[in-house]
Amino acid sequence: MSKKNYDVTGYIRQRFFPQMWCPGCGHGTVLGSLLRAVKELDLDKNEIVMTSGIGCSSRISGYVDFHSLHTIHGRALAFATGVKLSKPSLTAIVPMGDGDALAIGGNHFIHAARRNIDITAIVMNNRIYGMTGGQFSPLSGPGKRATTAPYSTIDRNFDVVDLSVSAGATFVARSTVYHPQESIDLIKRAIRHKGFSVVEILSQCPTHFGRKNKVGGAVEMLEYYKQRTVKIGSKKLEKDPTLIQRGIFVDNSEVPEYCDAYDLVIEKAMKGKR
Amino acid sequence: MALSFMEGNEAIARGAIAAGCNFFAGYPITPATTVFANMLKMLPPKGGVCIQGEDEIASMGYCIGASMAGKKALTATSGPGISLYSEQISFAIGSEIPMVIVDVQRLGPSTGSATRGADSDIQFLQWGSTSGVPVIVLAPSDALDCYVLTVHAFNFSEKYRCPVFIASNKEIGMTKESVDLDTAVLPPIVNRTFYSGDGFLPFEAEPAAAPPFLPIGGNTLVRQTSSTHGPDGFITIDPEVIAANQQRLRDKILMAEESLTLYEETVREDADTLVISYGVTSRAVEDSCQQLAESGTPVSTLSLKTLWPVPQKLILEKTKAYKKIVVIEMNLGQYIEEIRKVVPSSNLVFYGQMNGLLISPDKIMEVITHG
Repeated sequence: MSKKNYDVTGYIRQRFFPQMWCPGCGHGTVLGSLLRAVKELDLDKNEIVMTSGIGCSSRISGYVDFHSLHTIHGRALAFATGVKLSKPSLTAIVPMGDGDALAIGGNHFIHAARRNIDITAIVMNNRIYGMTGGQFSPLSGPGKRATTAPYSTIDRNFDVVDLSVSAGATFVARSTVYHPQESIDLIKRAIRHKGFSVVEILSQCPTHFGRKNKVGGAVEMLEYYKQRTVKIGSKKLEKDPTLIQRGIFVDNSEVPEYCDAYDLVIEKAMKGKR
Repeated sequence: MALSFMEGNEAIARGAIAAGCNFFAGYPITPATTVFANMLKMLPPKGGVCIQGEDEIASMGYCIGASMAGKKALTATSGPGISLYSEQISFAIGSEIPMVIVDVQRLGPSTGSATRGADSDIQFLQWGSTSGVPVIVLAPSDALDCYVLTVHAFNFSEKYRCPVFIASNKEIGMTKESVDLDTAVLPPIVNRTFYSGDGFLPFEAEPAAAPPFLPIGGNTLVRQTSSTHGPDGFITIDPEVIAANQQRLRDKILMAEESLTLYEETVREDADTLVISYGVTSRAVEDSCQQLAESGTPVSTLSLKTLWPVPQKLILEKTKAYKKIVVIEMNLGQYIEEIRKVVPSSNLVFYGQMNGLLISPDKIMEVITHG
């Protein structure tokens, strides 16, 4: 990649920088990967609508110079669905945190996946609620410390990939902020995929998750993603099946995309009058 | 379309089509489902989108997204669904997103009685959102009203860039009656004002007006946010900018009171009593006053079609010639308090009923005569 490809200033609202995320937060890396993916795809700013909910992750929509909808907690996919059904040619991207995607927004998430509407959901999994002060999320997992789990969590976590696959998402991938080049590639493929795409990016929250669980700062947490994740099907899994797999889990272009399917409904209703 | 046999919910759907509605999303709920069913018959054949969400929350989100993309959006539900819409009603109010929300009211609280009517939500519709920003609520009393008021509702929502409610009732929504929509006097269709020029600021507006609109996905980048924002659509904590926006959201509705006021009246000579009502109750009121007039007791009527913003000027003007003002409501007194703010209590007589039954003309005559 040439140096020029790293210049994404045309895609951001520079007046809002430096961004508000804590030192060591992984979300800025996700934003960087997303912008580079958009740049490499050579998308026009006017073709993209970024819809987000509420939380640290959702602030992305304030930094990007696309059509942007900064909406309400958990409902971003619903708004994006309305926009997409109205203007199917737009590229719809929804950055989501743990809560937006799979707590308050969980119902919208599984139904968007089931419908296979052409939206790219980027789930920034940092296993905690950052903005509200370190409460556990449905991605924290058992035995973790959080503001709302001073005696440690008893809730089991969702596996974002397994859930997305089960719900019918037609593109499902996972990467981490330790692997930005891989993230760029996966986001590009997710955006290009016509259907509901999920890219889970394991991010870190040293401020809350790191401190409360004594797993160190940003460097140690990134190191963890380096050590504990492997590419899908890696031989290392034979020795240690608890390693987290990265890569593309589903890439299925056989399922009709929802807006396309709805076009056929309209065609049927219009009895060929269109 | 000549004389037809039609329920209020179908008339609402036909009104929406007449107003140029091209997007509907909803979730099934009695007694509002047939609005959805009728939209399904009419919208896709015209190339419009009519979609079932996974719940009310999603359906409302679809409508808001569609409206931001430039569509004229409609949804329909009943009280329990309005509860679920609430968060997004606040978003639509604060972010000035036009749409029409039909509440085919049923007897609450909560699940209540799905197949029993009541004007349950008259205060809820105004106050069911955060921050106390005024909203527009229209109340039809029959199928023809459902048709006409839906067109007004779309017009108001486009002009003032806000959600507009239609407070229907199971008894209107699901009762078929003879109606000739051709006799309706429809207002000219209003479409939101599009911004033209350079340097678009999404929320820059005249002091008591809605900002001009540009759709998401057009050539000019549009920013929308649920957070407190100034004219530029960016998050702000500047007290002056916040205050100005709060004031504008309030003023654009309250200062339009007179142009938003819709009503019907029957003025009878020598009457010293006026009966104020709204919704399906107005029909029983009209019947009872007709009977009273025939037996030599003239009583005038005022049927309010606009409930919010409260048409205070109209109420003040229309009540001043009468010694006694009788207010009849299909609840235990939700709107009487609004009238009490305008009319001296000593002149007011109230009767409310909330038992799943329509209020009979006999009961109303008894209240007028002995109340």
